[in-house]
Amino acid sequence: MDENVNNRIGQGKPYMNPYLAGALLGLTLLASYLILGAGLGASSGLARMGAYIELALAPAHTLAGKYFGSWGLRPLEYYLVFMMAGVFFGGLISALIARRWEFKVEKGTQYATKKRLLIALVGGILAGFASRLASGCTSGQALSGSAALLTGSLLFLICVFAGGYAAAWFVRRQWDD
Amino acid sequence: MINTFFGSGTLDAPAAFFASLLIGIAFGVALERAGFGSSRRLSGIFYFRDMAVLKVMFTAVLVAMLGISYAKAFGWVTTENVYFLPTIYAAQILGGLVFGVGFVMSGWCPGTGAVGLASGKIDALVFLLGAVGGSILYNEAYPILAPITQGDHGIIFAYDSLGISEASFAFFFTLIAVGCFWGAEYIEKKRVGRGDLWGSTFLKAFSVILLVGAFGLFTLTGQSKSSKGPFSAHTTSAKQELELLANLQSGLDHIEPAELADRLLGGDPWMRLVDIRTPGEFGTFHIRSAVNVQPADLPATLAPHKNQGLIVLYSNGMTHPAQARDSLFRLGFKNVYLLTDGLEGFMKTCLKPVSLRSEPVSPVLAAKINAWRAFFLAPAKPGSEPASTFKGSSAPDLSTLTIPGLLETDWLNANLGKEGLKIVDLRAQPEYNSGHIPGSLSLNIESLRGLSQGVPSSLLPATMLAEHFSMMGIRPDDFLVLVSTKKLQDATLVGMACERLKHNRYAVLRGGFPKWQAEKRPLDMTLPPVGPSQYPLPKHPETFTVTAREVLTSLEKPGTLIIDVRPSDYFTGQKQDEARGGHIPGAVNRPFSEDVTKGDSYSAFKPIDELGKIYGKIIPSKETPVILHCRTGHQASQTYFVLVRLLGYTGVKWYDGGWTEWAARTELPIE
Repeated sequence: MDENVNNRIGQGKPYMNPYLAGALLGLTLLASYLILGAGLGASSGLARMGAYIELALAPAHTLAGKYFGSWGLRPLEYYLVFMMAGVFFGGLISALIARRWEFKVEKGTQYATKKRLLIALVGGILAGFASRLASGCTSGQALSGSAALLTGSLLFLICVFAGGYAAAWFVRRQWDD
Repeated sequence: MINTFFGSGTLDAPAAFFASLLIGIAFGVALERAGFGSSRRLSGIFYFRDMAVLKVMFTAVLVAMLGISYAKAFGWVTTENVYFLPTIYAAQILGGLVFGVGFVMSGWCPGTGAVGLASGKIDALVFLLGAVGGSILYNEAYPILAPITQGDHGIIFAYDSLGISEASFAFFFTLIAVGCFWGAEYIEKKRVGRGDLWGSTFLKAFSVILLVGAFGLFTLTGQSKSSKGPFSAHTTSAKQELELLANLQSGLDHIEPAELADRLLGGDPWMRLVDIRTPGEFGTFHIRSAVNVQPADLPATLAPHKNQGLIVLYSNGMTHPAQARDSLFRLGFKNVYLLTDGLEGFMKTCLKPVSLRSEPVSPVLAAKINAWRAFFLAPAKPGSEPASTFKGSSAPDLSTLTIPGLLETDWLNANLGKEGLKIVDLRAQPEYNSGHIPGSLSLNIESLRGLSQGVPSSLLPATMLAEHFSMMGIRPDDFLVLVSTKKLQDATLVGMACERLKHNRYAVLRGGFPKWQAEKRPLDMTLPPVGPSQYPLPKHPETFTVTAREVLTSLEKPGTLIIDVRPSDYFTGQKQDEARGGHIPGAVNRPFSEDVTKGDSYSAFKPIDELGKIYGKIIPSKETPVILHCRTGHQASQTYFVLVRLLGYTGVKWYDGGWTEWAARTELPIE
């Protein structure tokens, strides 16, 4: 069906074989462990941006806080911020080459754009919040931590799917075509 | 072990940032190629419409897992050179559930959201803004949520949680994942009539490759133990062999029976005596304080003592200990010694009664022999013998202490000689030389300070402090006891050095050396052996200090309390040793000396209740942002210790530059 969707748009190449894409991702993760000595991470980059913004708005309050405060005056000088920038550029290069770049709100045709964006925003707030609570997201915990067979990360992975399946029914309409 | 950025403590260096950028690019490309620049595709798994997330994620996890497991088996990867996330059950379970809800609502997660944004998706941009907002929300809610994140269980591997071997877990995990791949293909085939890969040669081959890869771990982890000996022997360099032979020639690898007997009698805390005979022989008789370790277990059992203190091996004769010593040397142990002539020699030299000796014995030696006989042949009193298990038993018990904090002399007395306890004596060197707490290292606090960014007497940067700690043989898991004179601020200044290095295992000895001496506790004049150490740099930037600029910023935004801890006449400007007299506008004065009771023989902090009442009146709440300063940072370090480590204030920062810097920078306001 996805291939059909792509064909309908009439520009993007079909996606890579998911197992090969997964192997590519796995090798990238392995390289991260062997070179950096730490796994992949994405949500930390976003949280650091959050700290940067809050620091600009209320420096004393932010520095006094125990969480963002512990990141000091220059929260963006952190390896995962650079990794996040890399993810963006890597995604951009790949999307342009595969001619999959398209400016749009992704949703079912029957669903209102405003409602889709609202759900995406609330989902973003929950994901951002939860990734700080768990010290990682799908990249840092579910992928990197599970690959290292860490107990807490595997639990996180299971809980992500438990939470996702539990809520899926309530937000299913956004994909109605 | 391979050299990672994390392992060398340089994850915050530009080179690591550049490497992260490149890895990020590969990460982004992989996600985009997988089709994860589309929220529709990502959320497909939750409606059994498109199982790509499962296939890609599980494959990535398996490939990386196999790689990491092999790297671990080869010894390339350990918890020392790779950062593994700690397990915190409540935070990860709750976080996972909420994250899953956010994931299915938005159709994005942070990494894929960035790829979605790069692919032009507006909903991805909105998601990312939400996630940044969610992080800020978390920061604001942190004081309430912190308890959930406190149950840190450290690095736990799932195979240990389940009590099975790593290879078995990896194999079952692979088996389940491969089953899921086939299930996912079947679901797609049934639900949407796609699933071209179901039953394909590709999927079959791919499944076999993964399973064989996982199965290979069994052979490898089984082999690695038995192959360790010859493997290491082959890699021994010629240089090492020469060193070994040179030590042999100069007799550097031996300890004479009499010396051993004297050290044991004197209770040398730095020596480990190891009996490598059979448990039966050991049970019949052994040299007092020895532990029994079988040769095959030596490397593992002695690992905590590698190049720390002195390890002495003995058996009945000399052959077995010599072979064991050589083998340990090749494994990097440079502190293993042999007992000359073994147990037989020890009995003959030290324990044979004077009356039975054929050679003449001097009165001094005769007295010694009698003392040795009394010590080594007496039935051991319960509790006087070190426990025969090596690990843990010799580490000091910190469970009853609040660290960092104050330490009682009673505790220190009871724990002298414990492994990992490092006492740091801050008195002048002549005093140290003429008697110190046994095992103390001498440290001049001025060696931790210097000119930094134009300000004299600043606490040295972490790199130099780490170098200094390495020189002193201090390791990150050592418990440091700081022993001062009546000037308690000497101990707390070293405490600031610990804070800078994120070395939280330290305590200030209450009353310092004067109290110890007044209580007539044991003293010693020998220099403790110091093994080499490589003190690592802290992984995260420090947050407990502020610069002059930050102090200035806080003046413009009320809410931060500045406490000047200098004597009152300096605060008012009646006295001055600097370019300008007075104080920072709005600062309050609380002289550091008022936190201390000066006794006849020693000085000590006032009772914590009393200090708590006094500061409760000065500082509105425990979280209030407070900046402490004095002239050079020395006296303020004492108030920092009182507020943060004794009273639990959380918003306190230390302005090290102090009045020395503030007065000299004429653009800064004073009153």
